[in-house]
Amino acid sequence: NMSAVCVALSRNVLAIRNPGTMVMVRYAQTAAAPAPEPRIKKFQIYRWDPDTAGDKPRMQTYDIDLNICGPMVLDALIKIKNEIDPTLTFRRSCREGICGSCAMNINGGNTLACLNKIDSNTSKPTKIYPLPHMYVVKDLVPDMSNFYAQYKSIEPYLKKKDETQEGKDQYFQSVEDRQKLDGLYECILCACCSTSCPSYWWNGDKYLGPAVLMQAYRWMIDSRDEFTEERLSKLQDPFSLYRCHTIMNCTKTCPKGLNPGKAIAEIKKMMATYKEKKAAAS
Amino acid sequence: MTFARQGVCLSRPKYSILYRHAAPMGTTAKEEMNKFWAKNTKLNRPMSPHLTIYKWSIPMMMSITHRGTGVGLSGAISAFALAALVLPGSYPHYLDLIHSLYVGPFLIGLAKFGISFPVSYHTFNGIRHLWWDIGKGFRIPEVYRTGYTVIGLSIITSVALTFL
Repeated sequence: NMSAVCVALSRNVLAIRNPGTMVMVRYAQTAAAPAPEPRIKKFQIYRWDPDTAGDKPRMQTYDIDLNICGPMVLDALIKIKNEIDPTLTFRRSCREGICGSCAMNINGGNTLACLNKIDSNTSKPTKIYPLPHMYVVKDLVPDMSNFYAQYKSIEPYLKKKDETQEGKDQYFQSVEDRQKLDGLYECILCACCSTSCPSYWWNGDKYLGPAVLMQAYRWMIDSRDEFTEERLSKLQDPFSLYRCHTIMNCTKTCPKGLNPGKAIAEIKKMMATYKEKKAAAS
Repeated sequence: MTFARQGVCLSRPKYSILYRHAAPMGTTAKEEMNKFWAKNTKLNRPMSPHLTIYKWSIPMMMSITHRGTGVGLSGAISAFALAALVLPGSYPHYLDLIHSLYVGPFLIGLAKFGISFPVSYHTFNGIRHLWWDIGKGFRIPEVYRTGYTVIGLSIITSVALTFL
């Protein structure tokens, strides 16, 4: 910001004066830029080290000058790791909201650190925790294995009754059928929604959670998939699907602006009718 | 990757049954879940904080209030029914007993509100849930709008019932 001001200023000066006074102009330029007031922001970050025997989780505070830091929370975390404390541990990769690695709880809400702007109000610290109600591997890194296993359990791929025809022809889809997948396929499986859900906190062992259920729905309504009924019947128990009580933390927190709450409601509707359909066919 | 692809191309037509056994699926989802729980219990890892750090929102508070009023009301109704069965004396007898206590209009009103608010809130929010059950009102602005409507209607109704 400051350098942009300087450039604009020096251009004006150059336009007025001729090249003969170049040295003076330069001097004027540096003199015109006062040292920016540091904007110190406090970051309180959850720490826990598995390699220190008996270590208890604690909050550690880091001071960052926002004038010399990128705009996003991930920029601050990387700055802390590079310049202050290399032991701070977190996941990150794409820094543009498509990999889902930097999902964490920032100021009480789950989001991607790379898509979350640092609150410029320096009087309030930014609090950063790992995704809620997850086993901590280290600092901000949670163990995602159960989440991934749940995703695996819904068989997130195209299934056909007749496997002998696989790969021979393209499976065509109408424009309308393809549009049904919009708002579902964009999910990056960052787990922000699932770990924002109190039902998932208390029943994460048996309840599949919003992210996985939305993907289950994505395959149920795919016009090319032939296992819709089987997919539905797999959720026919008190926990897998029905622990959803429409709290709507999932949709509120989704950093990609998707609506897992709505997808779960659509599955519940399908659950109410799919048996009738089957009975009518037989 | 290339090798595997070639393998698929070569072996597919002839050994389709054999090929299936030659390419196991690795671990099942169930096995991975079991491993997850065993590992995390053994390593004694801490659970990341949840309820204490998560930012409350109106829809979240309304959800827990719906649960609370539901549990409270069904408990109250069961207690009332049980009392009607077990306790000696009829309903008017106990009503007269309350009248004879002269607790004052304020406390009586508060007690009435304490019954009428859970009833009206749970009813209106129940309708909101039925609306969700037909797949409507899931956009976040709608969730807030229906939420504020339910809160407003419940307060008006329960106050009106209190003054009956």
